[in-house]
Amino acid sequence: MRMNETEKELIEMVLSGRAEAFEPLVTPYRGPLLALAYRLTCNREEALEVVQEALLRAFRSLGRFDVSRSFRNWLFQIAANEARDRLRRRSRERAAFDEAVQGTPAAENPETGHDRQEIRSDLMRCLNVLSPRERDVFVLRDLEELDIRETALALGCSSLSVRVSLSAARRKIRQAIRENFPHLEEGR
Amino acid sequence: MTCRKAKKLIPLYAGDDLRPRLERAVRAHIDACPACGKEIGEYRLALARIKAAAKEESVPDWSDGEWKALMARVRPAASETKRPVVLARPRWAAASVLGAFLGLAVLTMLIKDGNWEPREVSPVTGPEVVSLTMVSQETGLQVVWFLDKNFEWKGDNN
Repeated sequence: MRMNETEKELIEMVLSGRAEAFEPLVTPYRGPLLALAYRLTCNREEALEVVQEALLRAFRSLGRFDVSRSFRNWLFQIAANEARDRLRRRSRERAAFDEAVQGTPAAENPETGHDRQEIRSDLMRCLNVLSPRERDVFVLRDLEELDIRETALALGCSSLSVRVSLSAARRKIRQAIRENFPHLEEGR
Repeated sequence: MTCRKAKKLIPLYAGDDLRPRLERAVRAHIDACPACGKEIGEYRLALARIKAAAKEESVPDWSDGEWKALMARVRPAASETKRPVVLARPRWAAASVLGAFLGLAVLTMLIKDGNWEPREVSPVTGPEVVSLTMVSQETGLQVVWFLDKNFEWKGDNN
């Protein structure tokens, strides 16, 4: 997905000091960005904070944006990074809290890294079987339909690493659908 | 290609994410292997279902108030970004420049001098008596105090 002319013009306006052009530039992505953040964090409030931070970061680094890239994918990259950082931070804080309260180090389980989850749908339950990395890759590649290269760029890893995680994620998702959500498999 | 190897690649093949060479190899295998062909069909169906579920799922949207509040936060950020950017230079770069400068200075001195032998330097001896002169700007009166090297008063010129 390439950048359109309107986006280019709006970016130039923002870079020339007209901050008001930022809102029409990012408004088309407000829904998709929130959906991405929600699927990565499983929590609406957290997703709102992720998108807020991501848009502020995007505004500050707009001068470094490569216009040959898709603006949407660039925003997704920033949001995915922000969500990942936030989840790591939260996991560390939780581990430190558990250690302080119980006096023993909390065992970190990547499968259950998303606490305070709002599991409202079968889709979210399916995603819950994935590790954080598999989840990032699966959401970006299969749900947001970034290609392998863009997914690797967004997650700051190699295409090979994306393929390895994607393969594992699809295997787990298929297994989860077969075992727990057969109605999804049957299209109901 | 064996079924075992094909099964490892099927999840990626189902989403068209294999490199062309491997994709050709898997395609050749499934043409001759109905079991692997069936498995690919199942993966594709699972992917299609989950993508459809994602599209149908109602994802929480922004309220207008939340969105406006966020955009209001971006405006002050605009004035911050207009400040001139000062590039932080790494410390090792500054240390290297200083080192190079000192090295050059020492080298220049050695070349100028042409004498590499250490020279004996006579010890520096301080003055035995220090004088302190005070002059009145109004009357031109001068007072000179004499102090020894321990800053003990030795007298004045008045």
